[in-house]
Amino acid sequence: MAKTITAEVFGPDPPCHRCQLVHKTVEQAAAELKAQGLDIRVIRKPIMSREVVARYGVLVSPALAINGVVKMMGAVPTVKQARDLLQAAAKD
Amino acid sequence: METRGQKLRATVMLVFIAFAFAALIHSRISAYSLAPTLKQIDLQGLPLWLVPLVYLADYALHAWPCLLFAFILAGLMYEFIPKDWMTRHMRDSRFKGYLLAAVIAPVFTVCSCTMVPLFAGILFAGAGIGPAIVFLLMAPAANFMTLLLTGELIAWDIALVRLLAAFVTAIVAGVVIARTPWGRAVQAEFTVESQAPGGRVALVKLPFNERLWSGLRFSGYLVRRILPYFVIGLVAVSYFVAFVPETALAPYLTGVQGVIIASLIGGPLYTPTLVEIALGRALLDMGMSRGALLSWLMGQPYDIPNMVATSRVVHLKVVGLYAVIALLFSVIFGLLYSIVTGWV
Repeated sequence: MAKTITAEVFGPDPPCHRCQLVHKTVEQAAAELKAQGLDIRVIRKPIMSREVVARYGVLVSPALAINGVVKMMGAVPTVKQARDLLQAAAKD
Repeated sequence: METRGQKLRATVMLVFIAFAFAALIHSRISAYSLAPTLKQIDLQGLPLWLVPLVYLADYALHAWPCLLFAFILAGLMYEFIPKDWMTRHMRDSRFKGYLLAAVIAPVFTVCSCTMVPLFAGILFAGAGIGPAIVFLLMAPAANFMTLLLTGELIAWDIALVRLLAAFVTAIVAGVVIARTPWGRAVQAEFTVESQAPGGRVALVKLPFNERLWSGLRFSGYLVRRILPYFVIGLVAVSYFVAFVPETALAPYLTGVQGVIIASLIGGPLYTPTLVEIALGRALLDMGMSRGALLSWLMGQPYDIPNMVATSRVVHLKVVGLYAVIALLFSVIFGLLYSIVTGWV
């Protein structure tokens, strides 16, 4: 289980309150799972960049993608929801 | 599988939502005015510090069912609207793209923090500058929180005409800008031609109670974000109502002059979300004609913070052009409405 899970948080720049909240929530869930030996990378990406739009199309901010799949948009996950998503990605 | 606890939580939340809805319906049935009832005469004898408090209390007493319902509905709509379906179709630059940008997108865009990224998203993803402009102009005018408050606090005919007027303005501005060289330049610069491989959107399905909660949490966020400014705005409006002589402004609020002045001031004067409605209501009580009020309300899309935010994405020329078109149409619709209703 040394596979790296990449979680991307998309939000506008300057960051809006809810995007920061998503980032914090995912970081927290990731920290819990890292303690169990999972390898997780959490990255913030600007939602208004060509790179993001080219890859995912139009997104509603804030959005969260795990391993290149947008799992949530326009919503803030709870820590439990974020943990479940990350764990599910680890099992793939 | 939904557990018993999940069902219970969902029920509690549904009861709360039903209560908010019932409060609104009840106020309609009992013909309880949701608009504030205080007039200048009521406020004038009061000490300075008491004026805003009395005015706010009056507002709170009358408008709470409307505000509560508006905030709850805004949160729930945002949560339950099929966002993946919408965003997939927003890359269409033909008729469908325009229609979607005009009709569905504004419904859930109650806060500017989601508005500008969506504007940029529509622009980048292939739908181009036309639908992006349509979205930008419709969003502040046609999200139903604005509509509900305009309808309840001012009048439903004004709310519906406002919606129609915003729709026509937005479509015209979108189509015109998409045809100008500047619009084309922006489009050529920004549109992402090929979809890079690898990205996918597959939103997770969450249990109903968690989605309800997420929606209500967003309502709470909107309350925290919008209500403080609304209250500050009302404090200003309360002094305005109390101390500007009721007859002094009347000549500037009616007729052709009234429409033009309202259009010119409505935009650049920055009024936080919903405050333009409260101030509009106060102006109406002071004798503003309904046509001028319509122009006043239509000013929102070209207010300064909006233009600053979009000018970070597109050229100033494009921003200027849509502001001019929006201003022009705000005058035209104000005059048309005045003619149709007989300058009342």
